[in-house]
Amino acid sequence: MNAKLAWRNLWRNRRRTLITGASIMFAVFFAVLIQSMNRGSHEYMIDNMARFHTGFIQLQDSRFESEPSLDNVFEMDDALFERIAETHPNISFLVPRLETFMLAASEQQTRGAYVMGIEADLEHQLNGLKDHLKSGRFFTPGEGAVVMGEGLAGRLDVAVGDTLVLLGQGRFGTTAAGKFPIAGLVKHPMFEMNDQMVYMSLPDLQWVVSAEGMITTLLVTPERVRDTDVVAASVRESMTENGEFTVKTWPELMPELLQAIEFDMASAYVMSAILYIVIAFGLFGTILMMTLERVREFGVLLSIGMKRPSLSLVLFLESLLIGVIGVLAGCFISFLVVFYFYHHPIPLTGDLAAAIMDFGFEPILPFYLSGSLFLEQAVIVLLLSTLICLYPIIRVFRMDVLQASKA
Amino acid sequence: MNQAIIQTDRLTKIYNPDTVPVHALRDVSLSFEQGEFTSVVGPSGSGKTTLLNMIGGLDKPTSGSVMIDGVSITGMKDRELIDFRLKNIGFVFQHYNLIPVFTARENVSFIMLLQKRDKAEMMERTEKLLQQVGLRERMDARPKQLSGGQQQRVAVARALASRPKFILADEPTANLDSASAMNLLDIMEKMNREENVTFIFSTHDQRVIDRARRVITMVDGAVESDIATDQKSQTA
Ligand SMILES: Nc1ncnc2c1ncn2[C@@H]1O[C@H](COP(=O)(O)OP(=O)(O)OP(=O)(O)O)[C@@H](O)[C@H]1O
Ligand SMILES: [Mg+2]
Repeated sequence: MNAKLAWRNLWRNRRRTLITGASIMFAVFFAVLIQSMNRGSHEYMIDNMARFHTGFIQLQDSRFESEPSLDNVFEMDDALFERIAETHPNISFLVPRLETFMLAASEQQTRGAYVMGIEADLEHQLNGLKDHLKSGRFFTPGEGAVVMGEGLAGRLDVAVGDTLVLLGQGRFGTTAAGKFPIAGLVKHPMFEMNDQMVYMSLPDLQWVVSAEGMITTLLVTPERVRDTDVVAASVRESMTENGEFTVKTWPELMPELLQAIEFDMASAYVMSAILYIVIAFGLFGTILMMTLERVREFGVLLSIGMKRPSLSLVLFLESLLIGVIGVLAGCFISFLVVFYFYHHPIPLTGDLAAAIMDFGFEPILPFYLSGSLFLEQAVIVLLLSTLICLYPIIRVFRMDVLQASKA
Repeated sequence: MNQAIIQTDRLTKIYNPDTVPVHALRDVSLSFEQGEFTSVVGPSGSGKTTLLNMIGGLDKPTSGSVMIDGVSITGMKDRELIDFRLKNIGFVFQHYNLIPVFTARENVSFIMLLQKRDKAEMMERTEKLLQQVGLRERMDARPKQLSGGQQQRVAVARALASRPKFILADEPTANLDSASAMNLLDIMEKMNREENVTFIFSTHDQRVIDRARRVITMVDGAVESDIATDQKSQTA
């Protein structure tokens, strides 16, 4: 009966309730859209960056962080890989890497190079590396050839078919040096890496630096970017207990990226907040009117014996119902839109698209879709409704029955 | 055989005691019995409404006390009073009595719902009461769709629904034309006669006064006269 009373009271002024509900609907709609585009582009960015650069989750020897040298490598061991893969169901696959810095020299020039021993197929699965090949071909393991970044090749003035000399330190102070034919050039999506990268097959690099069967880093790839934290937690829990390994996630490995994203998120939140403040005033106006025009009615209700808490409950329900109507409608239409664009990302055109393509990314505006997107807006609106209905409730508790009946 | 259900003892109400004091009631000591059909009359400003509000627990006296069925309501807290009103007193106001979004039926059953009555009893009683006030056909109409007289009859049915000890009606006919007023009085009288429901109502209307069996006349906040009239004066 209380719910019935609240519901019917809402429709006493149909137009006002509809306008208020509609304004909440639009706020929810735009907030969901802003957040979806914002988080969508962040995930896309993180995804691309992490895939080429650090991976989402890294397993390292625990000494590697303070001393990133080839002395602190660990053994690639099938049993170990299996153990890691079993820590969480959302682990998609594992990518081993052996990373070190060496001097790269051509006949004319010498440069610092970031040399990475990879299993090309796994690396490709992670970031589509082979699609970035600009000229030549990829190496086969054991052939002793390299694939390098276009930028670095330009600086060294070498091309496919030329020979690259690498010089550095191997494991336990040995000297690592060799001559390597250049099998291919990649255009690396990230500038600094384009200017530094030299890829070699993992067993080849292991042999060069006297670290047979060893790797510096194991990338753990979760199913989705947003699974990073849970997966990392599981891996961390089971792999770090005896202090042998450390587990790091992309925000720890790329703090600058995290910072940029947080800044961007903050501006999206400010926009949503402004939206909701405007809506809150609208809702408050409606609730205020609904209260003021019914003071006498409240007086009668209290006179005949309705208790103040019951009357407050009715008022709370009224406020809540408007909110719920708005949230449901808003979530519904925004779901349709987000769902569509999630599956059909908006293609970008013009300079922006060109710039993004230059990075090796597809020029699209990706959307983010998850229940939390809608849940957050629902919680915000329902909190607002609750907060706003405090006004009529306080009025009811302070109301003098006689005075109200005369109002 | 009849016992006092309401007793006021030197009831005094002074509005604005600190600024411009208004003596709305002066030492009013009255006693009402079960089954009365009593009219409170007097010129405007004489204290009729104030008296009914005191008896109904809607207002607090400056001094003196109100006892209902041997219980003093004067010292009760707001929450206790609301509950006391719900269980013991029926109200019919001059206007804006009904919940506009509820139908006649819902308005009547609402009060029983507040009393947490059994649902089946509630529905049965609602229909019976609406039939008794002659609104069987209009049970599902909302107040706006009813005439003033019909609305007041719904209000009487609602007041009765809670099975109160007595019903207070402050100028229930003031907004009605005389035919509707007499019709309302007929219903109140019938309830009084058949079910021994106690009515105390204030009025300015001489024809309404004529129907009362006891007439209390107020002047300037004091009881000027308190007369039991002929019970058979029922012809309007
Ligand atoms: N809330 C109030 N504040 C100040 N004075 C009041 C208040 N309520 C009533 N009064 C005064 O108390 C006196 C009695 O008022 P009351 O309403 O009881 O008269 P009444 O007999 O019902 O009059 P009417 O026939 O016009 O309804 C009047 O002088 C009135 O002005
Ligand atoms: Mg009055």
